[in-house]
Formats: sequence, structure tokens, C-alpha cells
Amino acid sequence: MPARSEEELVEELKREHPELLVEAVIHRSKRVSIVAKREKILELARLLRDKYGFTHPVSAGAVDYIKEGRMQMIYYLMNPESRFMLMLRVDLPRDNPRMPSMTQVWEAMSFHEREAWEMFGIDFEGHPNLTHLLLPPDWRGGYPLRKDFKGEGVTP
Amino acid sequence: MTEPEVKPEVMRISWGPQHPMSGQTRILIDVDGEVVRRIIADIGFTHRGIEKILEKRTFIQGIVPIERMVMADTANIALGYVQAVEEALGIEVPERAKWIRSLICEMGRINSHLYAFGLQVECTGYFPAVFLWTTVDREVLLDLFEKLTGARWSYSFFIPGGVRADLPEGFRDEVKRAVKYLRRRFQDYWDAMVENPLFEMRNRGVGILSREDAIRLGATGPVLRGSGVDMDVRRDEPYAAYGDLDFKVITEKEGDCLARLKVRFHEIEQSLNIMEQIADEIPGGPVRTKVPLFPRSKPGVEALSRVETARGELGVHIFTDGGMKPYRVKINSPTLRNMYVFERLAELDKVLVADLPVILYSIDPWYLDCDR
Repeated sequence: MPARSEEELVEELKREHPELLVEAVIHRSKRVSIVAKREKILELARLLRDKYGFTHPVSAGAVDYIKEGRMQMIYYLMNPESRFMLMLRVDLPRDNPRMPSMTQVWEAMSFHEREAWEMFGIDFEGHPNLTHLLLPPDWRGGYPLRKDFKGEGVTP
Repeated sequence: MTEPEVKPEVMRISWGPQHPMSGQTRILIDVDGEVVRRIIADIGFTHRGIEKILEKRTFIQGIVPIERMVMADTANIALGYVQAVEEALGIEVPERAKWIRSLICEMGRINSHLYAFGLQVECTGYFPAVFLWTTVDREVLLDLFEKLTGARWSYSFFIPGGVRADLPEGFRDEVKRAVKYLRRRFQDYWDAMVENPLFEMRNRGVGILSREDAIRLGATGPVLRGSGVDMDVRRDEPYAAYGDLDFKVITEKEGDCLARLKVRFHEIEQSLNIMEQIADEIPGGPVRTKVPLFPRSKPGVEALSRVETARGELGVHIFTDGGMKPYRVKINSPTLRNMYVFERLAELDKVLVADLPVILYSIDPWYLDCDR
């Protein structure tokens, strides 16, 4: 089966799986965003990997929208055939950022989720080894990439 | 990182954090006799928080900290950031500036590959001289950088809207002379090392990464192409002048250390061809458009720029909020992805302790890039 183009992917997802999505948009050529529902993200991720061929994980990271009281976790994915960048996004409430770990689908998201965990405090349920990656093991200074991080009391 | 428990049947060796060959990182190795059972990459010793620093700098000030990610390859890293800023702020770049950018990026790629090449040979333990050869030969490129940008390393030459200066007089001829010299030297390298049976013995069939695993584990750059996956951002999503240039994407199907080395070797040849093409065909015109010193962004814009650095794909994702500084900059670094592949290699293939340095340096790790 040939790989789907940006338009075909967005069209097909909207038509066949509207219950999994909040929205799907094409920003420009080779940049596609899919915002998933938090409770359905695992299902959508498996679908993307197995049916749509997004087998190549690129990266993952989060953004803290402090004024809106939410955080957004972004997974960067690629299909080695079609080679456009798919950004799978999920909005999380800022006071309780929890979501299922995508390592169950893409094993290589492990490092990126550990980084998001220590930098933003996002809890990934089902991650095999949620420990500090870049920060020291005895770090008590809070979450550095959150917008309300003041940098006080960073030394243990 | 908190150290995971050691199983009773293995012994744990800690390699690093003081300079395991190059840079600071710690590799924990669980060995059962000569065989490596598990590799744990304990990274983060050079974490400087570049993503946070960039939130506190204006768009143009950000060029300096982000260049510190990879010193050997600053041009490609800076280009990733500058292109993202240009897309987010809607800045146009003149054609000649794009060509100059490509020229410097290819010179940077050769510079970085030379370093990787020298280190991998050093790891095999046979040729202490070769690392010195590559170090001497990169002087040719550093001199060209100095002439063009005023600095040998971290030149901050790319700015939103173009490049800082035009090519100096006679620069195109000097590029051609350098290409000619380097071509001759690379023939020597090939004869002395890649064709050498001793060198081949230490590299062939070592640290094999299959095509499926390379895709599944998110490898990138020469590691991915060394496993036969045909992906290169320069061709897949042409930026700068790459759409107008003629070059091949190099792949090798074996997926071992020798394949990764050969990919780098042939990529250097392609880069030399590109340099020559640019010296011959560069169009005229201005090299920068006027951009205010403190450009202001529109709120809620985001731009993801992808470039192919020497180590693989770099992504810089900028989010704006209407201020003079980026709201958030997410950097997708290539070495972080390749380090995960390295961690998993002991499970995919039989790895001996003696081969570990060669395998580690065949992925060309740059820990500053990994930790950001």
C-alpha cells in the first residue's frame, strides 16, 4: 500500500476515526498536526503506527501554556515512505498532567518522555523507567521548563 | 540518573564520566565475561538548559547559545534555528545568501565528519596517526571559515534575513583549491584505512543494526543511512540552496560500524562536489534583507525547521507569543536519538567489551548536542 500524502491522511482520519481526534490540520507542506483526545491517545497511536506506517519516532517534547492552564505534549513522528513530519499532540490539564506512555507504541520515546517528565512534571503511566535523564538524581529544584520556574533552591 | 540494580551474574563497569574518548558522559556496561549484556547511557553531564536560555534571549541573541550545541558543526545547528526564526517571523532570504549558507554548511559537515572519522580510527587502536591527519586537514577548512566569517569556530554567521557578509575577493578560487587538496587526501585515507584488512577486521560485522531496528528505534543521520534507509532532509525537504544542487544520498546496507564509516566517507565526497558546484554557479545579488535588531513576533505562531546536520536530523520548533523573545524552543537533537540506539545495541547483536569503543564512535556521539 503506498504511503498516504498529507491531505489523504487528514481526510481519512477525519472520515474514519472522528471519535479519536480533536482536530487534524495541515500547517504547510510536510507539516501535519493531529490533536488527540487524552483518553484515546493510545488507540490513535497504535492506529498511526500499524495502519498508517508511522514507524519512525523522531522526538517528543512539551509546551507549557500557563495562561490557559494547560500543557501540550507533542510527539514528532515520521513515515519512512512519505517523509513528512506528523505532530501528534495531546492537551493535558496543568494541575494534573498525566497521560499514558507512548513507549508502549514507540519504544524509542523513552528518553524523550523521561526528559518531559523531569522538565515539565508530566507523569507517563506505564513508562518502564521514569527516572532523571539530564538532571542530577537528587534534583529538588522543581520543573525547569515550566513557565513559573524561578530557579530558586536548585541546589539540593 | 539513579543506577538500576545489577544482576548477580554480571559485573558492572562504569565508563566515564571523564572523557570516554571525547566529551563527558557515563556509559554503564553490564558484562558477563567478554560479552556485554546491557548498556546504560547515563547522559546529562553537560546539560546547560539551552532550551530555557533561548526563552530568555531575543530572537537574534539566541543564535549564540544554540551554536554551542555542536562546535564542530555550528553552521548546520545555527541554520536550523535561523530558519525557524525566519519562518515564524515571515522573513525572506535572498538567493545568494541561501547558496552561501549551503557552502558553509557543507564545509561544516566535512569538518565534523573528519573528526568522527579520525576518532573511529583511533578507537580501533591501529592508527594513532590518522586522527592527527584529519586534525591537520581540517585546518584547510578552518582557514576558509576564518577568511569568510572572521572566526575559526562558532562563527555566528547566519542571521535572520541572510548572512553577515558576502564572499571576500578570490574566495571561490580558494574553495576550489581546498576541494582539490582534500580530494587527494581522502584518496590516501581510503587506501590507508578502509582498504586496510586490519582496520576492516575491527569494523566489519561489528555492532550490526538492521534496517527495521534503525527505523523502529528512531536512528538518524549516517547511522540510519548506514542501515540502508534512504532518508536525508537535504533531499526530502530541500532548504537553503539544496533544491538547486546536484548530490546523491549515500546509503550502505550492512548496518555495521564499517558501513557507518563508509557513509561518512562518501558523504564527504558529495560535500566536496557541492562545494565545487556552489563556487562555480553561485548567483549574484544581495546577501541579506534588512531585519530590525529586535524583531517582534505575532502571537500564537509556530515554526518547525528541519536541517540535516553531520549527525543527523535536527529539528528546531519555535513557539511565539507576540513578544521579542520566543515563547518556547524545542530542539530535537540527533545524538539523543542515536544514543538510544546505542543503548539497545547490546540486545540486538552480540557485543564484546573490546568492540564497544568502536561501536560508540561509529554513531558519532556529541554529548553537548545530546544534553543541550
